[in-house]
Amino acid sequence: MTAPSAPALAARGLSKAFGGLKAVSELSFELPAGGLHGLIGPNGAGKTTIFNLLTGVYRPDAGQVVVGGVDLTGRKPSDIARAGLVRTFQNIRLFGDLSVLDNVRIAAGVRARCGLWRSLLRTPLYWREEAELRDRARELLEVLGIGHRADEIAKSLPYGDQRRLEIARALATQPKVLLLDEPVAGMNTGEKKAMRGLISSLREQFGVSILLIEHDMGLVMDICEHITVIDHGVTIARGAPTAIQSDPAVIEAYLGVPDEPAPVAGELG
Amino acid sequence: MSAPPTDRRPPGWPGALARSLYPLVLGFGFAFLMQMVVAVSLGDYYSKILNAIGIAIILGVSLGIVNGYAGQFSLGHAGFMAVGGYTAAAIVYYGSIKLFGTKAIYGGALGPGELLLCAGCLAGGLLAALTGWLVGLPSLRLRGDYLAIVTLGFGEIIRVLIKQSDDVILSQPQVEAADWWTLLDNLGGGFGFIGGPRYIDAKNPFWVWVFVVLACLVAYRLKYSNRGRQLLAVRENEIAAEAMGIRTTKAKVSAFMTSAFFAGIGGGLYAHELGNSLRPSDLGFQKSIDIVIIVVLGGMGSISGAVLAAIAVTLLPELFREFKDYRMIVYAMALIIVMVLRPQGLLGLKELWEVDWRGVGRDLVTAPGRFMRWLISAPGRVRAAWKAAADRRAEDRS
Repeated sequence: MTAPSAPALAARGLSKAFGGLKAVSELSFELPAGGLHGLIGPNGAGKTTIFNLLTGVYRPDAGQVVVGGVDLTGRKPSDIARAGLVRTFQNIRLFGDLSVLDNVRIAAGVRARCGLWRSLLRTPLYWREEAELRDRARELLEVLGIGHRADEIAKSLPYGDQRRLEIARALATQPKVLLLDEPVAGMNTGEKKAMRGLISSLREQFGVSILLIEHDMGLVMDICEHITVIDHGVTIARGAPTAIQSDPAVIEAYLGVPDEPAPVAGELG
Repeated sequence: MSAPPTDRRPPGWPGALARSLYPLVLGFGFAFLMQMVVAVSLGDYYSKILNAIGIAIILGVSLGIVNGYAGQFSLGHAGFMAVGGYTAAAIVYYGSIKLFGTKAIYGGALGPGELLLCAGCLAGGLLAALTGWLVGLPSLRLRGDYLAIVTLGFGEIIRVLIKQSDDVILSQPQVEAADWWTLLDNLGGGFGFIGGPRYIDAKNPFWVWVFVVLACLVAYRLKYSNRGRQLLAVRENEIAAEAMGIRTTKAKVSAFMTSAFFAGIGGGLYAHELGNSLRPSDLGFQKSIDIVIIVVLGGMGSISGAVLAAIAVTLLPELFREFKDYRMIVYAMALIIVMVLRPQGLLGLKELWEVDWRGVGRDLVTAPGRFMRWLISAPGRVRAAWKAAADRRAEDRS
């Protein structure tokens, strides 16, 4: 058993370089159990790379990923997901040709005990688990507000519902930590508002800790307790939303320095 | 894809056992019917075609597990078929001599000879599955074209290996004197494995249909189970599947092994059918392509689609026999037309009973128009593709 005080997710000195480009350097943060933290930064700052490092898509050059006190650095994505760290994707990656229900049911089935032989023989366990998985998937779809679309093909859903389905699918694996990669990207104001309420309610309902990447500052400032700001792979600020808003380094990263001299023509190209 | 109809409450032991077994009972009844009624009433010519259809169904449905469910493009199915076929042939031929003292058919229906055939097919299947594991473990980390090339190479390696083997030992005393290890090198080389007892013919199709039922049942139960859906997830989006905790390599390897198992059985049956010659040249690349066509035509991931396609692909060349040498052109045309008009195959991912027939009807009604449009626009598309390739080359140079 892990110590109760262990953070749900911790990154310790994570670094990753692609050739000469340092995409992420010396990233450290701790996400306490039940926390909702935000990760922001301008375009190309390295946010999605950080998600890829945390979930094992990339192997970090240095540093550790610790989930619930267990070091998972360098493990395969599937192992990390089974350990309770599950993500959604910025560019939606659903199982497009399968039904909405199947998308969720597949993820829920990762923890099923029924193996190949029992499935082929159709033992009572098979029938019980099939019913359980189906019911749990339907329940999750109801919670995410897309229960009425369970039998539709995933890729035929409207964009906002596809994002909801991604979250439902991630939750179906019973994660401890949920990484949301731009959950409201491309949504209209109404959809954003609904999603904001949903994200905050997920914490209590499923007991997950959430790390959020988002460009929508209103949303991040509104629901996150703690924000880490990244620019060019370097952590430039961290703290409560109000502190971040007035941090000069953050303002500089997003808006540039007001009295920066114009670049000399010779330096371009 | 929707779930198979299930009760609200999952069944307990007795109910589950009954549900688990009744398709098998029905299946054996079906095989019995094929043997006792259908084969007798159809006559030798059509019964022979029916046997070929049965074996094609086994091969198509089994390849569907890898190419259809898991979306891994394998071109080595004939290789697994050869592994199973030669294993079964060696066990049955040399085993008959050693056990029964004869190389002719021994015993009647369900007699010792037929049981040896059954055991030989199962052993062939198991060896094919083992080969599948050996090939799959390193190569299933590859994707798309690369995997296709590796499996293609595997099939050729098997073919060439068998070609290097020595002649079949025809003299009975010599076989009785030799040990099994030596006999394994006497598979007939390029001439083929000749002289074995032929338990399957136009009048005796029983075992073909037993294994057709088994293959379809396994494929069906896999598709509507957790493991099968994981394979579909791998096919749909491997990155997302891995991110949700699915061990994608393991899933793919087990799919490969299941598929190879039934390919091996199909090969074993093929080897013991009267009129077939078990020659390396017949189990090469071309045979693999034939099986891939069944899967693609029937719909990637559809069992009933593969069954329909296996029937069509076996029957069409027979029906077009009047066209003599032109029949393969007609057959190829038919394939091209289907692929242009229904690229997802006849049934796509669905089964016969799940298909939205209005969609199929719409496809059929609009088919002539769409085909004409495709023909008319073909030169334009070729030109566009040509130009795009030229642009890419120009870009590469700069």
